[in-house]
Order: sequence, then C-alpha cells, then structure tokens
Amino acid sequence: MSRVPTDVSESERQSAALWVHELEKVYGDGTLALRGLSLHIPAGCFFGLLGPNGSGKSTLIGMVSGLVRAPADRIFVFGRDVVAQAGLARLQVGVAPQDVHLDRFLSTREVLEYHGRYFGMGKREAARRAGELLEVFDLSAKTRVKPNRLSGGMRRRLLIARALVHSPRLLILDEPTAGVDLELRRELWSYLRRLHQHEETTVLLTTHYLEEAEALCERLAFIREGQIIAKGTTGQLVERYGGSALEDAYVEAMR
Amino acid sequence: MAAPPVDSRELRVVRRRGSWALASREMRRVMSLWTQTLLPPVLTGVIFLAIFGGALGGQLRTIVGVEYLRFILPGLLVMTVAGQAFANNSTSLFQAKNEGYIEDVLTSPIPPWQLLLGYMSGGLLRGWLSALVLALVAAPFAGGVDQPWLTLFALVLTGLIFAALGVITGMWADSFDQHSFIASVLITPLALVAGVFYAPDRLGQPWQTLTRLDPIYYLVDATRHGYTGAHETSTVTALGVAAVAAAAIIALAVTLLRRGWRLKA
Repeated sequence: MSRVPTDVSESERQSAALWVHELEKVYGDGTLALRGLSLHIPAGCFFGLLGPNGSGKSTLIGMVSGLVRAPADRIFVFGRDVVAQAGLARLQVGVAPQDVHLDRFLSTREVLEYHGRYFGMGKREAARRAGELLEVFDLSAKTRVKPNRLSGGMRRRLLIARALVHSPRLLILDEPTAGVDLELRRELWSYLRRLHQHEETTVLLTTHYLEEAEALCERLAFIREGQIIAKGTTGQLVERYGGSALEDAYVEAMR
Repeated sequence: MAAPPVDSRELRVVRRRGSWALASREMRRVMSLWTQTLLPPVLTGVIFLAIFGGALGGQLRTIVGVEYLRFILPGLLVMTVAGQAFANNSTSLFQAKNEGYIEDVLTSPIPPWQLLLGYMSGGLLRGWLSALVLALVAAPFAGGVDQPWLTLFALVLTGLIFAALGVITGMWADSFDQHSFIASVLITPLALVAGVFYAPDRLGQPWQTLTRLDPIYYLVDATRHGYTGAHETSTVTALGVAAVAAAAIIALAVTLLRRGWRLKA
C-alpha cells in the first residue's frame, strides 16, 4: 500500500469533506472488505455510494466514523486524519448507521440531548437543539417516550436526528430509508434537501433505492468488492454504462 | 449552519463535557434503578451483619480483640464496594455493547481514558453509596471509625480496581453467561476467602495460605485497620500493592478501549 501521494496539496485534502486514499480492510476472519479504495467527496456535495450488500459500504462508513478500526494517514475528514486526529475529525461527522441502536435507558429527548453532550455541547444548548430536531422530525409528541416504544419509522427518524444534533459538516446516512414507508421517505428526502441546501452540509448517502439516489445525489460512486469501480454524475454514469436511467447503469456496472 | 471546526484547545473542553455527560448518564442509571442497584447490596450487607454479627457474634464475642460485628463490617464494606462497582460497570458496558448503542459514544470525540472515567463513575457511585448506607446502618452497633482517612483510602482503591475490572469484563463478554461467569467464578469466591468473616492466622492450611494469596484480603485488612485499628499485614505494603494494581488495571482498560478490543471490528 502506498503512502499518501506527496503531489496532493494540503489544501485539496483540507477542502475535501472526505478524502480516502488506497484504503484496505481485512477483518479478523480474513474477509477482505476493502481493496485499496480511494474516494474524494468535495465539501458541500450530496454524494451517493451505491453497491450490493457486502461491497464494503458499511465498512467504509464504520472506518470513517470510528466504529471499525482504521489505519492512520488514509482517511481524512475536512483535512483531519480520523485516526491521528480522531477527536477533531469525529466532531465533524454525524452518522446514522444502518441498524437502529438507541439507548433504552433514555427518553427520546434525552437520546438527542446526551448525544449532543457527548459531542461537547452544553446542557442548555443540547436541550435547545434537541427540541428543534424533535420538531423537525415530528417527534415532539414522543419526547418522554423510551425509544423501544417508538414505531420503526419513528426510531429511524430519531436515529437521523441524533446524527444531526451536533450540526456535523459531514452527515453519513447508511441506508436511512430502509424499511421506511413511502410517505416518510419523501418527507426525509425533502428534509435532507433543505439541510444540504441551507446548511451547506455534505451528505454521504448509501441506499439500495436507486430512485432515491437519483433524486438526491449530485454525484455518485459505484462500489463493488471493496473498490470504487465508477464515479460521476447520474448523467455521466448512464452515458458510460448505457441505458436510460441510473438503474440500468448500476445493473450493467455490477455485472 | 454546520458547526465550525474547533481547535485543539476547544477540543479539550468538548472532551471534558463529553466525558461528564457519559458519567452523568451512568450515575443517573444507578440512581433511577436504585431498587436494583442500591437496595439489594445494602440489604445483603445488613443480613450478613445480622446473621454473622448478631447470631454468630454472640458465640464468638471477639476476634483479634475486636467485637465480631465490628470485625466483619470493614470486610463487608470492601465486598460491597468491590461487588457493586464491578457488577454495575460490567453490566452497563455489556448492555451498551450487546444492544449496539455503545456506537453513540464510540463515534464521539471522547478519548479512551475519558470514556473509562465516564463508565467507571456509575460503578464507583453504586459501590461507595451502598457501602456508605451500610456503614451508617451498622454504625450504632459496630461503633465509629478509628481512622477515617485510611478507611476511605482503602475503599477508594477497592472501588477503582473493581470498577475498571468491570469495564474490562463488559468489553470482554459476548453473552450474559460470560458476563456473569467472572462475577460468580472470580469475584465472589475471592471475596469469601478474603478474611471478611475470619482472621487467617486462626485457620489451618490451606485456608491460611489461600487467604494470604487473595488480593482482596489486603484491601480488607487495610480497611479493617482504618475502621477498627486491628490489622495483620503491613497496611503501607497492602495499600501500595493495591495502588499499583489499580494503576495497572486502569492502564490496561485504557489500552483496551484505545484498541477497541471486542468493541470494534
């Protein structure tokens, strides 16, 4: 594995929301999850990462967010090494993982408040932000309810709200609309669009719904067997692989 | 608008607040579940005192010159602090890991040593508070503390050692059986042969040697020295060894958290 190339200017790395260079990941059981994956997501971009199950999406997200062990000098969030400068890097990342895991000892409101406080927010500030997000995600009527008493859709919304409490510059959503009904999915889309446009948040989205990627993402990458095999806009990918829509290009690329 | 980036100085404040938030979450859990976390150890201690101190104490009268109930109380305090600090932290971390919500803190900027501090605080509160209540309940019968600072220091070390051990066990356990295995196979037997209810030099072999090999015995002896003035071993040596053990176990826990041992793939 080569080191970070010296011709990459510091400003290029600093300006990228996520900069990944030749990243490899071998799990303890010998599974090779990532094979020299390189990815560059410009700041302010709504970026989609598409690939089949087991292609390495969640591994990459885990390594960026601190849930999976990562090597130093390979992953940078706004110029901060996620290993060597873990604290500074993590402050800029909000992640809504694929599986919903919420602290069952806390109420819906407290899930958000404590998350904010884990990220250094003061008590009052975290409470204010939690109130704001409960409103946005239509959870205000459930503030005192424990997460395990919420419906699946509500838990999913709470998970996304939790990722947003500390106002991250890079929001990572790992299949955020999996198992969510169409109405709520559309609502989430409209919220994510607003967030991206008005708050300049960079979004990295993984999804199996290609119409979702097409509707939201400015740029996309296809990932297969731990490697990025193609990237570009929907138009560029369709042009490269043929067909009339992203779905055609995706199916062709994964062949 | 997304939050602006912070510098290293601000990061220190962020981390301190994060660690305190985790500590307050852990302590809140202890207080809100007080019927499960605080009441049982106090009741157990009182029952031990009633049966051993009251019933058996009537037969034994004194041991190493100390009234039996007063003799066993320091050991019961050590057992309470050790058992509760251990059980609380191993359970809390095991639950967080098993149910997946540990990702909330693992993705945060809180560094490993401050994560440990946060997780340990719940067990320390539970252990020390249970012991304090037990001591207050027993005080009218067992008499006052001879050397408060020595007693306090020995119980602080006991708490630190077992709170950190609890965190390590919570990280290690992959099932509830594994989680309770350490408590039932290691902690309880060690506590029972630690000279809580007897003076080792009155026992025959191999119990005398077994007791002297038990690390908890030295914590019991130091606490007994502080509470009653009576002791068998060098308290300076006992507390020195306990302090080194606490530092070593805490360092091990920090290292394991830094590596994400059994927490990160």
